[in-house]
Amino acid sequence: MSTPAAPSSTPPAAGKFLLIGVAGLAATALGLVISGAQNVAYSYLVGFSFWAAIAIGMMMLILIHHVFDANWSVLIRRQFEHGLSAFKWLALLFLPLWLASVFYQSDLIWPWMNLDHVMHGGHTVGQDVLYTKKASFLNLNMFTGMTAAFFVIWMWLSARLRKASFSQDADGDLKWTHMNRKTAAFGIPLLALSLSFAAIYWIKSLEYHWYSTMYGVWFFANCVRGALSCGVLIMIWLIARGDYRGIVNKNHFYSIGLLVFAFTVFWAYVTFSQYFLIWNANVPEETFWYNLREIYADGTPSQWKYVGFFILFGHFLAPFLYLLSYKHKVTPAYIRPAAIWILGVILVDLCYNILPALKDAHGDPLPFLSLNLLWVLTSVVGVGGICIWSYLKSFPTTKLFPIRDPRIGECLTYHE
Amino acid sequence: MATSSYGLIATFDTAPEIYQAAQKVRDAGYKNWDCITPFPVHGLDGAMGLGRSLVPRISLVGGIIGFCTGMSMIFWTGAVDYKLIVGGKPFFSPMFAFPVSYELTILFTAFATIGGMFFLNGLPMHYHPVLKYKDIKRGMDDTFFIVIEARDPRFNLANTKALLEQAGGKAITELEA
Repeated sequence: MSTPAAPSSTPPAAGKFLLIGVAGLAATALGLVISGAQNVAYSYLVGFSFWAAIAIGMMMLILIHHVFDANWSVLIRRQFEHGLSAFKWLALLFLPLWLASVFYQSDLIWPWMNLDHVMHGGHTVGQDVLYTKKASFLNLNMFTGMTAAFFVIWMWLSARLRKASFSQDADGDLKWTHMNRKTAAFGIPLLALSLSFAAIYWIKSLEYHWYSTMYGVWFFANCVRGALSCGVLIMIWLIARGDYRGIVNKNHFYSIGLLVFAFTVFWAYVTFSQYFLIWNANVPEETFWYNLREIYADGTPSQWKYVGFFILFGHFLAPFLYLLSYKHKVTPAYIRPAAIWILGVILVDLCYNILPALKDAHGDPLPFLSLNLLWVLTSVVGVGGICIWSYLKSFPTTKLFPIRDPRIGECLTYHE
Repeated sequence: MATSSYGLIATFDTAPEIYQAAQKVRDAGYKNWDCITPFPVHGLDGAMGLGRSLVPRISLVGGIIGFCTGMSMIFWTGAVDYKLIVGGKPFFSPMFAFPVSYELTILFTAFATIGGMFFLNGLPMHYHPVLKYKDIKRGMDDTFFIVIEARDPRFNLANTKALLEQAGGKAITELEA
């Protein structure tokens, strides 16, 4: 058993997760034969966005930590810094989607990439005024350039944050803290813009007719909720391993639990606003997006209606009521199921936003309960295995927490 | 319980002293007692054995009443008392009732929190027996006090005095009721 303050404990077994990840990706590839390229590509996009969202959320939390000069989050910040190591792998894992769109079938995932793609109603994308007005934004060159820019920004910010934090472990120089604060000051707007555009290009443009100015914020809310939930699980895992035993106290759980709670409310606020404004204005260009997620063309309710209700109660009401309680926030055994639950409903929320863009011959979305769900799960396991492997590989390379951070004392003796 | 004494007051010079004395009084099983400090002492609530405040429960009740008030008010005005079609929308829908209900949830939660806090702490209180103690004003400056009330079931003039002495209290004085 390692002592809590040991500079590095026994490294966790990372190779296992690489195997799991490769197995998940292989299983997803098997789906290409069974369900066809398009279904699997959409499912993979869900799995990919899920882990990309968590990594983006972790970076956002680190940047917010630095810009506010926070003290309680110094410990968990180090774990998020390890999480950032996944961005280079995420960039690699996005490549199949791009390659398939460029070399295999241009409208495989994003229909607007093919101007001859026939829309429901008989006209092509190229004849669609709602496309031509957006053509300078929605085209392959822009998509490629912007996606490359997102990953360059994320990897560059990650490299800066990790370098400064890890270097400070060795020399304790305050310049690293100042460097991080500067990175945070310009990194927050950069990350806010890049994650919003990523959500718009990768997810929202699947149904490019739709308008919603809330979309980037919706994605941001999911990113941060996912990262916080992962943070809770990492803290509990490190206590169980012995690394953080006696170091993380209930006030740390209270603070991170409060943020999970706050972002539950924030997610609901944003998602409800988006729905409510569209419902109230009742403009066909906007309402069709929700109609597709509620009824078939003949007016009968589809499975997506119940998925929507599940998200309303499962993504907001249940975690909201559960996390109101102080005890549920500070007791690891109580907050752990909430964190796992939230990660699960984020995945369902991404399914709800991505999968109904897959249409059958009548223009109706494919049902929620289908074989595609299996490919979503294999993608989550595949991309997740690689991300966790990357985190665990980074984990033993530094101290368990930033021992020379100027705020580490305040963090270790943190109280409400 | 007719007694002319309110309780005993003991003086302490430093925060660590009163912290440790509070732990002793807590462990002796007293319930009706309090600490008077010139500034908030972190962790003193734990040392006194105080649990979580009941205010959040009252807040929750206020919030639920606020939400129900908003929903039912809009339902009654729009769908019962004065039916009017606005923007082609139904007479009642939780959609448009939600923002108002949400605001009332927050408003009533705030009222319940403030009201519940005053109800539980008994403020405003214009008179309190400890105000008669000659040195009490130093409790706003540099001195710490522990007051154990005579109505506490464990209170016994001699034993309680001995406990306060043993806990390091000075100038132990009986307070007039």
